[in-house]
Amino acid sequence: MTNTNSGSHPALEVETLGFKYGGADGFAISVPALRLGAEEQILLTGGSGTGKSTLLQIIAGLFNPDRGSVRVSGRDMHSMHGAARDRFRGAHIGMIFQTFNLLQGFTAKENVLAALMFSGVARSEHQERASDLLKKLGIARMDAPVESLSVGQQQRVAVARAVACKPALVLADEPTASLDPENSASAIELIQTACREAGAALLCTSHDPAMRGRFGRVESLENLRSGAASGAESRIGAGVGS
Amino acid sequence: MNDFTIIRRSLSARKLSTVLTSLSVAVAVALMLVLLMMRESGRAAFERGSGNMHMLVSLDSDPLTGILNSVYLAAPPRRAIEHAKFQDLASKPFWAYFIPTQIGDSYRGLPVFATTEEFFTKFQPGEDEKWRLKAGRFFDKNFEIVLGARAAEATGLKIGDKISLTHGMPQPRSAESQSKGDAPAPHVHDEYKFEVVGILEPTGGAHDRAVLTSITSSWILHAHDRREKEEHASGRTEEHAHDEHDHDHDHAHDHEAMTTEADLTDADKKVTGVYARVVSRPGSNASAMIPVVFGQMRADSSITVAQPSQEINKLFAIVGSVDQILIAMAAVVAASSGISILLALYNSMEQRRRQVAVLRVLGASAGRIFRLVLCESLALGAIGAAAGVAGALIGGRIVANEMKSRLGLVLEPSISWELGLGVVGGALLLAAIAGLLPAAVAYRTSVAKNLRPLG
Repeated sequence: MTNTNSGSHPALEVETLGFKYGGADGFAISVPALRLGAEEQILLTGGSGTGKSTLLQIIAGLFNPDRGSVRVSGRDMHSMHGAARDRFRGAHIGMIFQTFNLLQGFTAKENVLAALMFSGVARSEHQERASDLLKKLGIARMDAPVESLSVGQQQRVAVARAVACKPALVLADEPTASLDPENSASAIELIQTACREAGAALLCTSHDPAMRGRFGRVESLENLRSGAASGAESRIGAGVGS
Repeated sequence: MNDFTIIRRSLSARKLSTVLTSLSVAVAVALMLVLLMMRESGRAAFERGSGNMHMLVSLDSDPLTGILNSVYLAAPPRRAIEHAKFQDLASKPFWAYFIPTQIGDSYRGLPVFATTEEFFTKFQPGEDEKWRLKAGRFFDKNFEIVLGARAAEATGLKIGDKISLTHGMPQPRSAESQSKGDAPAPHVHDEYKFEVVGILEPTGGAHDRAVLTSITSSWILHAHDRREKEEHASGRTEEHAHDEHDHDHDHAHDHEAMTTEADLTDADKKVTGVYARVVSRPGSNASAMIPVVFGQMRADSSITVAQPSQEINKLFAIVGSVDQILIAMAAVVAASSGISILLALYNSMEQRRRQVAVLRVLGASAGRIFRLVLCESLALGAIGAAAGVAGALIGGRIVANEMKSRLGLVLEPSISWELGLGVVGGALLLAAIAGLLPAAVAYRTSVAKNLRPLG
């Protein structure tokens, strides 16, 4: 399976990133360095309100940092402007949210097709790719409106949508926060497997300690801020993550 | 999946709002179209009705009334031109034709138009457009009838059918007189049967709903009435005298002696209107002659002379101000429909901020979102405009039927390409303008803020 990662570039490179909330003096988010290799999966921990989601949005190009750079597949996100950045995000980055953020009133398949529509993937491939992906993720009623599906199925649709364009990087923002522990485990398993199969790197945020054991590399925002982040040092569990 | 799917889903998610907003556009478009359509077809009907005549001579109180009565068969003129006067006018050298007409009788509510055979050979329902028969032939004898196309349709009469004409034309009765039942019963000229010999092709003019017969037949009918009255009056005198002398014999005056052309006096030969065309001689220009002849005729204060084109312009100038008020009202309805599109979309933006944010995350640019909302507004305008055009065609037909049954005015409502495109284009432009603000709101929607919960 080929993804949108270009050549030998890491999926994500963050350098000297600083972000201030409007008018504040100091940087609320500061990441001296963060590198995510192709297909690598990393868990980013931190308490509520520490800026995990904001960091993901900066990486996705939805916010501009006040300092530093973010490169996805070797492209500097913030050197691109307007529609070019939006197109790049659609083609190279998938996003999964805690509340799924599915398009209400659209069917499961249309939600996946919507992602493909803006991805640059040839239109002739859209239908087949969306159907295959949903089938693989166990969605039988792909023509049903998403709001008629169970929560678990909605999450599968959200995962399918995130990996549909075979992105270089998937950003998952607290994807299990609203699930019970048993469902959390299966949900994260689903996301990790889907990313691996799509050839995408995964940056997942969570404040759930139970998640730590499922990732080969775990970073906390505090460690990143102090520059202590290191894949080797923070590697905790084995076998579950890559 | 394409932009159209997103627009369709978005509209169907707000079905009631979509239907009501489209309906308001449809009402505005239909209203505008019906008004414009009626104005155009009304003018066309009026312009066609006068055919190739240059002027009308009558004794009506004013030229416009003359045109309405004798050309559009609105009502019988109150006064008729005497035979001697007609002959004097007809003898002028400048006429290509000078065709006498008489209206006053009716058949099942349809006007009887009495004239001469020249009406079919010289008067043309349109410039370079001759009368055409759908069936039968033109009348060439007394008591023969040719039916206008709509008259044939309305009565269901066929060639060979025989009918009697009714004296007078039906007048709208007040509710009071109807309830009292005090309107006199119409007098039917049942002594004379008229035979249908021809049915005309439609021309779009007022003559389509006329029952046409020879003017001599009409004179004979009324001469017969006159003679009956005279005999009745003399009979009463005789009866009175017999009573006094106690004579006992039958005085039945059965009026078995039918009136013929030979019984006609000059006083019977009444003409209510004359269709006239100025002669065009080789080397001379008829249109240059018209004002000269018109001036000469107007100098005769005993007659009323009317030029149809001038009178139609006069009529439309009178009706025009009402017309403009109605069009202004339609424009107000159109503007309010634009506001309802704006409100519907603007209010929906509040609920759709998250959808917009998700589409942005998926890779839709702000410009694309702007276009999507604008297209959604255009879709509302297009749905409304399509419904409006359909409504206008149906409404136009209803109004035309009402005009025909109430006023006898034959309208052919149709939407020309120019008119249709103009109004539909206007509705779309209005929808586009109404969509600008909601589109701008969508364009400026903060993606990050609307992808809650934020960490």
